[in-house]
Amino acid sequence: MRINILKAIYKKEMTDLVRDRRTLISMVAVPLLVMPLMMVVMTRVVDRMETKAKDDAKTMSIAVRATDPAVAQALKKAGLIVSEQSGDVRTAVESKKATAGVEEVPGPTPTLRVFADDSNPGSRSSGDRIRIALNDWKEERVRQGLRASGVAESVLTPFQMQKVNVAPERKMAGMIWGSMLGYLLLLLMFSGGMYPVIDMTAGEKERKTLEAYLSSPAGRDEIVLGKILAAMTAIALTAALTLTSVVLSVRNGFSSKNPQVRSMMQSIPMDPHTVFLIALTLIPLIIFAASAMIAIAIHARSFKEGTSYLTPLILLVIFPAILGGMPGMELTPTLCLIPIFNASQLIRAIMLGEFSMAALGVTLAANLAYAAVAFFIAKRRFDNESVLFRS
Amino acid sequence: MSAPTATAPRPTISVTGLVKSFTDPKRGTLNAVNDVSFDVFPGEVFGLLGPNGAGKTTTLRILATLLKPTSGTAVLNGFDIVRDPGRVRQQIGFLSGETGLYARLTPREILSFFGEMNGITGAPLKTRVADTMERFGITAFADVRTDKLSTGMKQKTAIARTVLHDPPILILDEPTSGLDVPTARTIEQCIVEAKQRGKCIVYSTHVMEEAEYLCDRIAVISDGSLKITGTMQQLREATGKQRLREIFLGLLGME
Repeated sequence: MRINILKAIYKKEMTDLVRDRRTLISMVAVPLLVMPLMMVVMTRVVDRMETKAKDDAKTMSIAVRATDPAVAQALKKAGLIVSEQSGDVRTAVESKKATAGVEEVPGPTPTLRVFADDSNPGSRSSGDRIRIALNDWKEERVRQGLRASGVAESVLTPFQMQKVNVAPERKMAGMIWGSMLGYLLLLLMFSGGMYPVIDMTAGEKERKTLEAYLSSPAGRDEIVLGKILAAMTAIALTAALTLTSVVLSVRNGFSSKNPQVRSMMQSIPMDPHTVFLIALTLIPLIIFAASAMIAIAIHARSFKEGTSYLTPLILLVIFPAILGGMPGMELTPTLCLIPIFNASQLIRAIMLGEFSMAALGVTLAANLAYAAVAFFIAKRRFDNESVLFRS
Repeated sequence: MSAPTATAPRPTISVTGLVKSFTDPKRGTLNAVNDVSFDVFPGEVFGLLGPNGAGKTTTLRILATLLKPTSGTAVLNGFDIVRDPGRVRQQIGFLSGETGLYARLTPREILSFFGEMNGITGAPLKTRVADTMERFGITAFADVRTDKLSTGMKQKTAIARTVLHDPPILILDEPTSGLDVPTARTIEQCIVEAKQRGKCIVYSTHVMEEAEYLCDRIAVISDGSLKITGTMQQLREATGKQRLREIFLGLLGME
């Protein structure tokens, strides 16, 4: 392996890549523009839906059919707009004439039936407000009864309960970020590397540049390694830009209006130690992704064919990446051997601050072994003339 | 003391019993090249003529070590294509009909890249690239992306890339295919100049006039086998025909 030749190949591949519009879009434009834009749009849509649901609950009327006028009064006292009904309350809610409704079912102990459409956030919110108002009213009536009987009201509250969350804010943020960051990074690493890899393999065949390349004194192993290093750079750059743009977007306020969620999102654990550990986890996978994609894409004769070969690989990555980010999964020594899944799990554990050195070691060793196998296969593909000169 | 004896010149390329088989799912095993042998000497242009699918490109690809022979071998400037393909590639400049240039790079970048691949670096590389560009009239468009160049400019760049490292052997696979007369002329001039500088040139073409004008010796290949090899004079004597086109068609049974 000659360093000068390797440097020349890497430099040529990188120059060629950064001048390709498709590669630039997938490597730079998508992480820097599309991801933050998607986050802004999504959070704005969710916030708007929440606001609309609350507004609907405040402005739309509640259908009430009860013999006791105190029911309607209790709801009015809670600030709800009440529309007394003579007809069927359920039909009024179903036909959206009322956002929710209450119907009294007579009996020895009367039942107040609350109707709401749970598929509609506004109706669901109104239903919740009705239940709170009726509970308050019920409690008030119990207190009145106790007072009339001369019993102290304190019998209703023999003790108080207080829930204490022992997880620090960093851990809570780690839980939120850990479940999606691994998935996001792994998915974008593979999808970001797709165009550069196809360009330097099937693209070379399509543009008829491969023959001159292969007839140069460079060895096949040098050509493969140079291309893998360039693909690794593209993949790492995509991952780094994605991570940076997501973190900056969140920190600069492109997140939920919900103050609690916002506070947790903004306290994303991104100290140098965490970043180092995540990068360490990703390095073997970057080598694996570049080698595996090159080994597959070199079979294709054209860019189009290359895209159809690599798309299933990206779909294959999604499943273990999502599964690995799920809470409740423990990284056992056996699970550490499953590629993609192991990295996704490890990133989650790192974000939570709960990873073990053994899990880190086994995961890194397993993924390095997979990367070595993928590199070996890629090199073998470049030695196979029926692959290179497939017609 | 005995008088000095004239020794026979040593061939730069020596091809012996070259066979290349491909397996086709429908047609079974096919011999694209079948027991091909020839020698090419320094300062000689050796023309390989044949119809499409005759085995010209496969033979030249084997010589350039892009394909491995099924059996037989070739020695190029002392290096065996099977045992030492890396060293063989240091001896050759390979050009196919497809110019094989990187569309997003400039001629200067392409020449520098192939110079580095051939072990030339630093100041000597810059000088070599500048000289080669000057020699082929590339300097004026040296920093323009290749996809913005005309076909003639691209072909000049491709030739410059092939000879930049001054290899002793040139392997040219239909280099004038699809080119207009002035551009093809540039390549012909390059071949003549290389021959004058003592280079060994193996050259395939479909253009009979070009072969007649450029080649010292010609081989006709058909169905993977060499039908005849010799100078124009030897070909005329063997076939009784005068023009290369008639000789060629006669050997293919298409008179």
